[in-house]
Amino acid sequence: VSHDPRHDAPTDAPAAQEQVPGGTLGRLAAPLTPELVRTLLYEVIDPELGVNIVDLGLVYDLAVTDDGVVRIAMTLTTPGCPLGGFLEDEIRECLTQLPRVRDVSVQLVWEPPWGPERMSDVARAQLGWNR
Amino acid sequence: MTGPHLARRAPLLALAVVALFTGLWGGLVRLGLQVDTGGVSVAEAHGPLMALGFLGTLISLERAVALGRAWAYCAPPAAAIGALLALGDAPAGLGPALLLFAGVVLVAAHVAIDRQVRSLHNAIVGLGAVTWCAAAVWWLAGADIARFAPLLAAFLVLTIVGERLELARMGGLAAGLPRLWLGAAVGALLAGLALSLPAPRLGVQVAGAGLLAQALWLARHDIARRTVRARGITRFMAVALLAGYAWLAIAGVLWIAGDATQGGGFGYDASLHAVFLGFVFSMVFAHAPVIVPAVLRVPLPYRPRFYAHLALLHASLALRLVGGGLSGDVAAWRWGGVLGEVAILLFLASSAHAVLHARRTRSRAPRSVAGAVRRRPPMSGRTDHVPDRAVR
Repeated sequence: VSHDPRHDAPTDAPAAQEQVPGGTLGRLAAPLTPELVRTLLYEVIDPELGVNIVDLGLVYDLAVTDDGVVRIAMTLTTPGCPLGGFLEDEIRECLTQLPRVRDVSVQLVWEPPWGPERMSDVARAQLGWNR
Repeated sequence: MTGPHLARRAPLLALAVVALFTGLWGGLVRLGLQVDTGGVSVAEAHGPLMALGFLGTLISLERAVALGRAWAYCAPPAAAIGALLALGDAPAGLGPALLLFAGVVLVAAHVAIDRQVRSLHNAIVGLGAVTWCAAAVWWLAGADIARFAPLLAAFLVLTIVGERLELARMGGLAAGLPRLWLGAAVGALLAGLALSLPAPRLGVQVAGAGLLAQALWLARHDIARRTVRARGITRFMAVALLAGYAWLAIAGVLWIAGDATQGGGFGYDASLHAVFLGFVFSMVFAHAPVIVPAVLRVPLPYRPRFYAHLALLHASLALRLVGGGLSGDVAAWRWGGVLGEVAILLFLASSAHAVLHARRTRSRAPRSVAGAVRRRPPMSGRTDHVPDRAVR
């Protein structure tokens, strides 16, 4: 099992998709790694905010097993938010299009609680923090 | 994953829709249209049917889904059935008692959520559930619906305002004055409602000041001010929200003017429908493309045509209040009311069509690598554009 080493540092992540050469085709051919999974999770958007779940700091940890199982530990901005199932479906749909992904497991966790300090600088700028 | 969720939760949603249709039917009677009432008090129960039977069922279902505890699912059917029982020959008090039970379960759900993560926004939403309970107690005590209608409005306003405060954190909401402002506004609303027990007019006027202050807070601090610059579903939601805040401010002014305590007449009609239709239903329209997939686990793709039912909702309410209430033109008031109901039916039809079309499209489309190739890559992964998969 390999873990994404960046799960403790959600802010200021570099443009992740640039790490996978060859664009979308490159992703399909690339080995299944936490970095690749993280790259794809930039495509899962909170519809209300128009910001992806990685930049929002919702993804706490992710791991990939040798037999193609992706395990994601993520949070929501509040336990009263009903979007957990919605985002799980979005993540599953996003990742299962990779041929090497056999299954996706999403676990909602509440420790540590989410706070706006977990948002990346890009997300903050997008939501007008500097205006 | 989709099937079991749909099978378990769709009947609860169906109960809410039955309450909605019954409430709309009662609304037509209240507008003075000659429709058959079937011998039931459909017009009298219009408010509780809409606020608790429909919206209360939806909100308690949404909260049960978030919490994921079996007991929390007792609230939605109790709310819908309680509101419907108030219509017929059920023993007196059974409907309001069921509504009280549903409200208490919703309060308990918020207590459970608060134990997971304590927050001001959850406390405000929870206070909304308390006002639901207070309304049911008043009803059980035999009060006229007009007396506790402001409590029903407060339930929905506090639910929405608490949720918006939660999202405002993502816009960099400062810790000091903005939170004090909102706390004072919520306090004024609750204090006014408490005062309305011995002094109805003065109490509702104070509550109206709380509504107005909350509307101004939302207009100043809500994240929709930023997300309205995005595209697709994100902009649609923001437009609906911002339009709703204008109506909440108008409602606050009307409450301050004292119209919300007159059980009947244009002023009473305007002061309540500015909240329930202008503010709350605009919020429902905004969030349906997100909440329906979250609750039923079926996609409800955003479509630009959703602006049609949103525009009709607000235009019809303007006709009802300005053309009708303000100028005393009964025909304009009636047309505004009927077109408001048309907007809600159009919303239901448009949403149902989007769901069915998406399911047909999805069942035909091969889930393959080719599908992934066709998908648009993220625009540097951080864009105000929601990718096709999210927008669907």
